[in-house]
Amino acid sequence: MQESFLSFLGENLQLFLTYTGFYNATPEHLIMLVVGLLFIFLAIRYEFEPMLLIPIGFGILIGNIPFKDAGLQIGIYEEGSVLNILYQGVVQGWYPPLIFLGIGAMTDFSALISNPKLMLIGAAAQFGIFGAYIIALQMGFEPNQAGAIGIIGGADGPTAIFLSSKLAPNLMGAIAVSAYSYMALVPIIQPPFMRLLTTKKERVIRMKPPRVVSSTEKIIFPIVGLLLTCFLVPSGLPLLGMLFFGNLLKESGVTRRLAETARGPLIDTITILLGVTVGASTQATQFLTLNSVKIFGLGALSFVIATCAGILFVKFFNLFLKKGNKINPLIGNSGVSAVPDSARISQLVGLEYDATNYLLMHAMGPNVAGVIGSAVAAGILLGFLV
Amino acid sequence: MIRRKTEVLLLFVLLFIVGAQAQRVTSIRINEVLVINEDNFVDDYGKRSGWIELFNTSAGTVNIQGCFITNDANNPTKYPVPKGDVLTKIPPHQHTLFWADGVASRGTFHLNFELDPDRDNYIALYDSDGKTLVDEIVIPAGQMADVSYGRKVDGLDEWISFEKVTPSTNNLTLDTNEKIDNFRMNDSLGIGMTVTAMAVVFLGLILLFFGFKGIGRVAISASKRRTEKATGIVIQEGDISGEVLAAISSALYELNEDVHDFENTVLTIQKVKRNYSPWSSKIYGLREIPRK
Repeated sequence: MQESFLSFLGENLQLFLTYTGFYNATPEHLIMLVVGLLFIFLAIRYEFEPMLLIPIGFGILIGNIPFKDAGLQIGIYEEGSVLNILYQGVVQGWYPPLIFLGIGAMTDFSALISNPKLMLIGAAAQFGIFGAYIIALQMGFEPNQAGAIGIIGGADGPTAIFLSSKLAPNLMGAIAVSAYSYMALVPIIQPPFMRLLTTKKERVIRMKPPRVVSSTEKIIFPIVGLLLTCFLVPSGLPLLGMLFFGNLLKESGVTRRLAETARGPLIDTITILLGVTVGASTQATQFLTLNSVKIFGLGALSFVIATCAGILFVKFFNLFLKKGNKINPLIGNSGVSAVPDSARISQLVGLEYDATNYLLMHAMGPNVAGVIGSAVAAGILLGFLV
Repeated sequence: MIRRKTEVLLLFVLLFIVGAQAQRVTSIRINEVLVINEDNFVDDYGKRSGWIELFNTSAGTVNIQGCFITNDANNPTKYPVPKGDVLTKIPPHQHTLFWADGVASRGTFHLNFELDPDRDNYIALYDSDGKTLVDEIVIPAGQMADVSYGRKVDGLDEWISFEKVTPSTNNLTLDTNEKIDNFRMNDSLGIGMTVTAMAVVFLGLILLFFGFKGIGRVAISASKRRTEKATGIVIQEGDISGEVLAAISSALYELNEDVHDFENTVLTIQKVKRNYSPWSSKIYGLREIPRK
């Protein structure tokens, strides 16, 4: 009796052991756990985009706890699991437009309105997307996959997730993590190329202070912006519609509560859910592939191309501008839509060469134009490839 | 005020109706019809009969319960689609099939009429009011057995005969993405995509540039006019800018601050002589002597 009870306990313990993470762990799981820990370390130690890297890093830990596939509905790819339900916001593409709503509600487009020519820098930086698209095609990716990978060059996480969920859902995890990682690494990626492509004389160009923009202009901006861009690229509607809607909530002056919710609790909630689920979607079995490595390489390349394209475009543009109206090429990097990090980089690099030359406000112009530009580019890719 | 509220309410009602209309039965199309079924699709009872396929052209689920299907133009309400059956909900861009076997008692999807192989067959779908025609088609007489008559592409206008019938599935079967194939074939380097897409991105932002350049000019001149009206001073081109004025003002302020002989914290008391003040009146300041 006692013997059979002991063997029953032993069998149960053995069975339990097969359910533990220790039993099911593979080297791939451990690699991903290290990646997750690295993200968390970078966020806390160096404060690289902590709002993104902490949720994504922790999400990677959550997604890579090894478990026995016994239909317990715990994995993110198991239909009906809590994580899977939260992940639907990514898969179905409704988190990114909500993030854009918040971005619209917190973005001041004054710099862009006061100096509209800065919009063109935002357009030029989108070369990063299509440069990566061309290279991805040469590396053997299908056109739809290449489009989804290229969008990393827009430096816009929500847009990258939105587009990849439509064009190449199987690559979405790698694309999202790559996009957010490189956005966090903007302070490391961009400055060397900014210094490389500019002369000392160009780096100290002082730009005219932006004029004061009236509230009427600020109200007109989201309405005209929506109509012009979405009539041209209706497929950009989910992102651009929400971006401009959020901005109207902010600028109308009569929907303060809604604007505050959009740029506060709502965007925070969605950022948490998006970050954790994108992180958790990097389950080692799905994520650690050769394609992911290629995507990471292409992502870095697309950021470099976008940065260089923005800077070179400003230098080219300056050839046609009068002496007092020249643009400091150090704001060219801000054409990528990593708001406001890339604008901050313009400011910091600019201050290194002239301690009284503040470029932040000027850089915010191409920065927000980059948001619009990357959403338009995503709309074009969606229209062409879906 | 009441009129304004009514207008706003009407606007909302209108918007609601337009919005609701988009996912109503008006999005349903008669999509494919098989008149003579000899060696073809079999129903749940193992019987062969003609069938009518409906297609939901909208991006939303449409419930066709209460609608009417008929083969008689003079009797639009011939077969009412039963209510309360969840299967009458047609998902977005999906199909549903009705058997024209003349035995409605077999279930929701069995019509109370049959299709006549010897003459033209008029088929129509009416909305639940029995009056609003949603879609109609006349299937020409002389249909061949097991060859259906349907729209070339689901929901579109052109009708053709199908030797390979497609009940409850797409009339045009796509096993590849035409757009992606086109890019793969004609733009393997990605140059075409890059040029086109960048042109569109630039065009979009150039449109915004010109739009806001114009709006900016109007705003500046409006602001100038307002300032001139308020101050009575005509502002000339090349006048001192606001930034310079602000700098001069702050310099003057600083200078003025430096003129002080004493620190701001020194209190100066100036004696004010007044003949009378209620505060110094004796009647408020003295106690009355208590009566003994």
